Amino acid sequence: KQGLVETNQMPFWLEKAIAWGQTDTPHTRNDISLHLKRLRDFLQHIQQFSSTTETLNRLPLLGQLLGRLCWNSHVTAEGESILWKIGKCCMCFCLLALYSEHPSNAVERKANQWIQKVLCHLATDEEDGAALGLMKHLGVPTKEYHLKVLKKVFCFYSFCLKAYLCSCGSIWAVSEACVPLITCPEASPLIGALLQQQMTCIRESLSENFLDALHSAYSRYRKCFYCIFSLCFFFFPEMPQESLKNHLIWVSSSLQRLTEEEEDEEDSDIFEAWFLLVQCGYWVQMVVQLLVTSGPEDCGPLLWLLTFYHHPTNRWHHRASQLVQAKAAWDHLYSLFSIVAHLLPADHLQSFISLLAPKPQQPSLAPSLTLNLLVNFATFGQLPQSISAEITQKVSKLSSLKPLHSASHLSCYHKI
Amino acid sequence: MGGKFNPAGRVSLLLLPSLAAHSGVVNEWNEQTVTRAFHWARYCEHIYSRFHGNPVIRGVLEKQLQLTNHSLKEAFPEYNAVSILDLGRCQDLLLLWLLNNSALPISIMKMLFETKASADSTSSDYEDVRGLCNQIIQCKSACTVLRPLLGGPSVGAEVQGEMLMERLGSALSQSSDTRRAEDFLSSVLQKFEVAAEHLCPVIAAALLTTDSAVQTASQDFLLDWLQSRLGVLQHVCTALPSKVLADLAERHQKFRDAFCKLLKKWASEMEYRVTEGEWVHAATNSAVSFQKMTEHYLTLFEACPSLRTEIEDELNAQRIADGDFDVRGLSVWGDILLALRK
Repeated sequence: KQGLVETNQMPFWLEKAIAWGQTDTPHTRNDISLHLKRLRDFLQHIQQFSSTTETLNRLPLLGQLLGRLCWNSHVTAEGESILWKIGKCCMCFCLLALYSEHPSNAVERKANQWIQKVLCHLATDEEDGAALGLMKHLGVPTKEYHLKVLKKVFCFYSFCLKAYLCSCGSIWAVSEACVPLITCPEASPLIGALLQQQMTCIRESLSENFLDALHSAYSRYRKCFYCIFSLCFFFFPEMPQESLKNHLIWVSSSLQRLTEEEEDEEDSDIFEAWFLLVQCGYWVQMVVQLLVTSGPEDCGPLLWLLTFYHHPTNRWHHRASQLVQAKAAWDHLYSLFSIVAHLLPADHLQSFISLLAPKPQQPSLAPSLTLNLLVNFATFGQLPQSISAEITQKVSKLSSLKPLHSASHLSCYHKI
Repeated sequence: MGGKFNPAGRVSLLLLPSLAAHSGVVNEWNEQTVTRAFHWARYCEHIYSRFHGNPVIRGVLEKQLQLTNHSLKEAFPEYNAVSILDLGRCQDLLLLWLLNNSALPISIMKMLFETKASADSTSSDYEDVRGLCNQIIQCKSACTVLRPLLGGPSVGAEVQGEMLMERLGSALSQSSDTRRAEDFLSSVLQKFEVAAEHLCPVIAAALLTTDSAVQTASQDFLLDWLQSRLGVLQHVCTALPSKVLADLAERHQKFRDAFCKLLKKWASEMEYRVTEGEWVHAATNSAVSFQKMTEHYLTLFEACPSLRTEIEDELNAQRIADGDFDVRGLSVWGDILLALRK
């Protein structure tokens, strides 16, 4: 059964390759676009056979197919040939898989020769002959030329995006075009600009393929906090709570890694990350809400994220102390609002209130952080509404924090 | 001549990788060997970029290359001669030779085409060869894929224009004698006679660039050179769209003068065809039309409004000299004026 599907499909693809090579019309181009993904899958599946001889036995017309695809010279008005569309890298993988390390017969030796020729063609031939001819004449290496062109293109797009000169339709097109560039380092400013655009433009403007590609690439990026934000922004509305919590924990640990790596606390990367976080303020609210429903084992990274939001710079290395205070506040609130403790031992409450008081010797935690936690615990905690209201009223009366939301406001937020 | 460092003395060493890349010796190469070969190639490129503008050292290099090429060819018939320009793109050539060499081990090929996890990669000078081909392909694919979406002047032409100016600049700065720079430009033109169409946007981009690295002296030189070669100037003004020509005129006084002069020349060469009821350029294979010419004038006025009165006065003076007629078809100058005033 192995390989039967591929054997059956071969005549179909060969016919397609022949047709595509004969004319270059809008119909042909459309047909190519429709079949592209299936063709790529087919080329990938060819690599399953154990030897080139076996592959060529089962698919004797394979050489013809690959040849027609590689040497299809039709370049559309947009400057793309079939080869570009299929993806030269895809072809390279396919060809390398067919290369026999120790050719055992004439067929394999011939195949090797041909494959090497095609690989050379893929890596060195140029579609824009005149341009490369000029560069050759000037003694400019082709890679330098392409890199310079790429940099200009990226600058142009980044500029357009930042100045909101691109329509949502063209943003989609650019993001779609960037799918093969996710791993290209030169492209990161453009990708960043695309994602920042996403923040202000309508949600659907980035292509799904682009976000998928980012998603699968994120693990290779240490600094790609842009991926973080795009992911959550894109998936946020439909995300179930459990996966949202996991995402936020992952965001937190990525940011944590970023800040730990940066020696210079004024680093603009960290500021940019924080700025993005601030632009999506509702995230932080999600973090606080999740802190209410999480247990001690989960709260660490979420508390870190919340502390970072309120204190983005680690000036004088205060963060460690701030984290300790945040944890203490959370611990207190966790016990205060837990069902078991609803009888309100007074000293428990008192120690929480003393947490809120400013301490001149220590770097203090932003009061709004603690306040936010309190309000959310009161609103989303498991205690009955009346008791939550009572607690917050007591805190408001006894602490220096004013004004606090009144009990009636709290009841609006309560999710009963 | 360059003190202790004499690059010419190392020329034979430079060419060894090229020799090796052509022979069966590559069969024994591993990743380290390939990396070293590419380091050598980068060194060659470095030498080229440092000395190609220095006429004295360049001359010595060229001579030495010639001698070495000759002796290597005698010893190894399959050897391909390396020119001074080739030094500037040594890595390209090395890759080409390797990929064309049937003795290249598959392990090296797989290494060259490997997909890098680019988290740690930068486009810095120091690169290893792992995934080199994949990177090249990605770069080229990116250019191809994004270019059509730009919908504006060609980015490629811009880069080529800047590189052209950079080379011209170094040719000018190294010698007070302008002959080298002239030869350089002439060689470019000669090389691309067939593809002259391609050069026109490049020349325009070179003159319009706002890149700070491009010197005004280079642009000035190019303008003078254009003015002295009427054929080239004519070709450029025929091939480029009105808007680009107007931008050039607005930016460079010299171009403005030359362009206006050319438009006048074209107008004076027009004949009125009674059967068609329009003016036609008398020269054979001319791509200039009356309509195009008036379009050039109108676009020019948009970019340089101050020119309008001056040119209209000139045209009027010519019309009067022609007999001061108001009827169509008798004076090209009058008809141009009519078209401009519509």
